[in-house]
Amino acid sequence: MASPSGSSGDPSPDQSEASPDPPEAALAVDRVSVAYGDRVALEEVSFQLKGGTFAGVLGPNGAGKTTLLRALLGTVPATGTIALRGRTAYVPQLTTVSESFPVDALGVVVMGRYPRLGWRRRPGPGDRRLAGELLDQVGLGDRARSPFGSLSGGQRQRVLVARALAQEGEVLLLDEPLTGIDAPSQATILRVIRAECAAGRTVVMTTHDLAQAARECDRLLLLNRTLIADGAAQEVLRAEVLGRAYEAEVLLLDGQAALIDEGAHHHPPAKPGGLR
Amino acid sequence: MFEPFSAPYMQSALLAGLLIAVPCGLLGVWVVMRGLAFFSHAVGVATFPGVVVGLAVPAIGPFAGSMAAAGAFGVAVSSVETDHRLHGGAVTGLVLATAMAVGAVLLTTVARVSTPVETVLFGSLLGISDADVARCAIVAVTALGALAVLWTRLEASTFDRAWAAPAGARASRTDGLLLILIGFTVVTALPAVGSLMVSGLLVIPAATARLLCERLATMSACAVTLCASEVVIGLAAARELDVAPGASIAALGGLGFALAAAAGAVRSGWVRRTVAT
Repeated sequence: MASPSGSSGDPSPDQSEASPDPPEAALAVDRVSVAYGDRVALEEVSFQLKGGTFAGVLGPNGAGKTTLLRALLGTVPATGTIALRGRTAYVPQLTTVSESFPVDALGVVVMGRYPRLGWRRRPGPGDRRLAGELLDQVGLGDRARSPFGSLSGGQRQRVLVARALAQEGEVLLLDEPLTGIDAPSQATILRVIRAECAAGRTVVMTTHDLAQAARECDRLLLLNRTLIADGAAQEVLRAEVLGRAYEAEVLLLDGQAALIDEGAHHHPPAKPGGLR
Repeated sequence: MFEPFSAPYMQSALLAGLLIAVPCGLLGVWVVMRGLAFFSHAVGVATFPGVVVGLAVPAIGPFAGSMAAAGAFGVAVSSVETDHRLHGGAVTGLVLATAMAVGAVLLTTVARVSTPVETVLFGSLLGISDADVARCAIVAVTALGALAVLWTRLEASTFDRAWAAPAGARASRTDGLLLILIGFTVVTALPAVGSLMVSGLLVIPAATARLLCERLATMSACAVTLCASEVVIGLAAARELDVAPGASIAALGGLGFALAAAAGAVRSGWVRRTVAT
């Protein structure tokens, strides 16, 4: 299976059954593999997403979820082909952000305009107005002048989502945006994502919370180096499918799957009572 | 203006100091926010053998000597740093200690240098030539221009590199240019403040400014102002007290930081709480 060739001209016969017809796809990923030295992080991953889809990427720690987003962003060398409509907008994990940097919430969102301005032109009043509106959208209009470091985790995450919206990308990529933040912030971010999808944009979000992903996403991609499953929640979140992705980490209780806690830094991925 | 600045050599020192305060204050913000304080201190110290050679061989001169040493330091650190078994700080520390040792050996054996070692390490009021002033002006203008171009990229990639790199900030190139700018600034500041005291202008004012400011623009303006104030008062004090200017400038900077930290502690109620318990 570990084919070293990443030839893009070779059409793959085993297309995922869930794919819509290609011309509509806002994001088409074809046999993408990523290796860090000797370690293969992603192997032959293929899927397509229509505009307006909210896709959740699931999988155990080290499954390649973040790597998949990096491949879509072009920051890791990948083989295979990735076709994207328009620009990408990105929300990295909250832990990547400097807490000590002297910037207020509005300033962070204005940074989201820099790529559009070509990194040379300075943001104008229009950019600042837009940034203010985006802060309103994530419920932080009154915190525009607050130092970023003084905000709570959930508020910071909402500011980073607003910064991504300021990028005005067609494909929005979010890395664990709901992990470890308060419920109201989670609800706000999910509402914003829904609005983006309604406007025809495509959203890819990694998450550990299977139950939440099942409730919120249109499409689930279950990853563990390879793409284990791809489809609607009821197709993907079945015990035998999850067992293949999570291996020994899945506990079967009364035919329902529950996950054993995966790591100290993540909140429990499933609510008590398991999943459908 | 001040009585201490009536002598021409003091005016040269003042002019050079005020000019170099601009790039030191502005670059200092990025040095502090990116955790480059140890690197910038090490560049200064690493120029020591270059200055010694430059003083011993008049054809080279201390400026070219220190420039070559700073360049060699950058190459040495970046080539050893690719060894993943060593953390960056360890590499910087080992190159720094080696450079200092080479300088000391050269000074006492090969080089017959009339300049006292304290002048090289802590700076001098007397040694500021017109060429030094001109170099300070060139570095000030270059740093202003480069920072104006790099500003958005520096801001975005310092705040959140994981976001800025895919968004097109050309983070590695920006890093490299910043380090080169810091190197030039350090070398240019050497005659006034000496190899060991560069942090007095590059690190302390910006760190103090961070305690006082919550926005990048105000922090930058504050850092330049503090830098310039340190230069004016520090040079006057150096002359009145007959100490090396690098030492008086850095001491003032440290005092300023302590005052700012104390003021912050009082404002946040820390002192009151601690006294009450």
